[in-house]
Amino acid sequence: MRLELGLVLIKDVQFSDTTKLENGVLTVNKEELIKLISEDEHLASVEVDIAKPGESVRITPVKDVVEPRVKVEGPGGIFPGILSKVDIVGSGKTNVLKGMTVMTTGKIVGFQEGIIDMKGPGADFTPFSKTINLVLKCAPVEGLKQHDHEKAVRFAGFKAAAYLAETAKSLTPDTVEVFQTDPFLEGIKKYPNLPKVAYVQMLQTQGLLHDTYVYGVDAKQIVPTILYPTEIMDGAIVSGNCVSACDKNTSYHQMNNPAVHDLYAAHGKTLNFVGTIITNENVYLADKERSSNWTAKLAEYFGLDGVIISQEGFGNPDTDLIMNTRKIEEKGIKTVIITDEYAGRDGASQSLADAHPSANAVVTGGNANEIIHLPKLDKVIGTLDYIDIIAGGFGGSLNEDGSITVELQAITGATNEIGFNKMSAKGY
Amino acid sequence: MVKEIERAGIPVVHMCTVVPISLTVGANRIVPTIAIPHPLGNPALDPKEEKALRRKLVERALEALTTEVSEQTVFDVK
Repeated sequence: MRLELGLVLIKDVQFSDTTKLENGVLTVNKEELIKLISEDEHLASVEVDIAKPGESVRITPVKDVVEPRVKVEGPGGIFPGILSKVDIVGSGKTNVLKGMTVMTTGKIVGFQEGIIDMKGPGADFTPFSKTINLVLKCAPVEGLKQHDHEKAVRFAGFKAAAYLAETAKSLTPDTVEVFQTDPFLEGIKKYPNLPKVAYVQMLQTQGLLHDTYVYGVDAKQIVPTILYPTEIMDGAIVSGNCVSACDKNTSYHQMNNPAVHDLYAAHGKTLNFVGTIITNENVYLADKERSSNWTAKLAEYFGLDGVIISQEGFGNPDTDLIMNTRKIEEKGIKTVIITDEYAGRDGASQSLADAHPSANAVVTGGNANEIIHLPKLDKVIGTLDYIDIIAGGFGGSLNEDGSITVELQAITGATNEIGFNKMSAKGY
Repeated sequence: MVKEIERAGIPVVHMCTVVPISLTVGANRIVPTIAIPHPLGNPALDPKEEKALRRKLVERALEALTTEVSEQTVFDVK
């Protein structure tokens, strides 16, 4: 499977009479966009705003972040099983509006939504302070249940992203990146001397608004399976979760997974990247046992030499992580895990809820309990009403002068566990 | 909490869903429960069935509490 990812570099986003993309400037007809999103009867109102890097703007509570992409050639469409039919995606050509996002905010759905600062110390901890963000503030109709509210806002983000990306369908991209994964038998013949490596991606599936969708399927209902890594670049996996902002994978993270991109960069040189195994993080012990048994079974079946395992979220998923690691290592396959830490505000506590000696190669995304002080910014998109109750916040987080004292946990992407952040630790 | 209470000389049964974590942190008597969001109940059952389930879990825990153990022991609920 071969995918050409065409990057159309976005220099600016502005409101205008027509929605179009010329010379890297995206103009957006706000009314047309609002009309499209308002078609959902679950939403009472939608407002649209733009936040740019360096502006004194705070966006909160942030639910999801989405990258606008459009299918140019090849089967299927972006977000298969969600906005498009369920064709297998990940081949042909896809154009990307690179440098911007669609972001969703508004009345809180669950308590685990995030803060994104476009300026100041908080901006250093989120990747989305460096992108131009088109922000949808969605208000649910009165009495809407949480799950329906989450779904309505999730779809609003996807629909807006698809609407904007359509402007790039016939454009020539600024740069083109090519990713290719061969069918398994051909792939191993091609590089007989390189170690066979797969990526085991754990998806957040704890339910109660902690969910991830694969081709539209709620991933807590899957057993571990395989994907061509390019499938995710067309939106095969999307976030539906309100897990702690710092270490959830937004849909943007899913489409731009650095573990996948870095494995492709090494593919054919130092290793043979044979594919992705996806698994879940469920709340029943039997599910945890079954899914980790299956990741180990698949890893053995494909004769892998090594895997990289990434976690999403924290707490009981630490057990899924350790089960995956232990069971895959027991098959004689080397593992490296990517996680983050909840080591207390002073960093002195145990970092993970579970542990095992086989987890002897660990990459951390940082300590989510660390405290940060965020000075007041001039403008808020969304509302500060929930600062004290979002995960990472506490009674008194929102100070009288408008500044905020929170754990890094509250900042979207701060301790991301697929490598999409800047924090880590080194052993010497 | 399990370890500190035991350190004070009072036996403890840890009722929990994620048994591996309980084993890692060093609980001595463990009773596996239903699910992380609802360890001692099951909202899918009707109230009568759920009450029976809860009674079974508690009775198993009391049995564990009164059983001598020489190592970490998981008391599965039958």
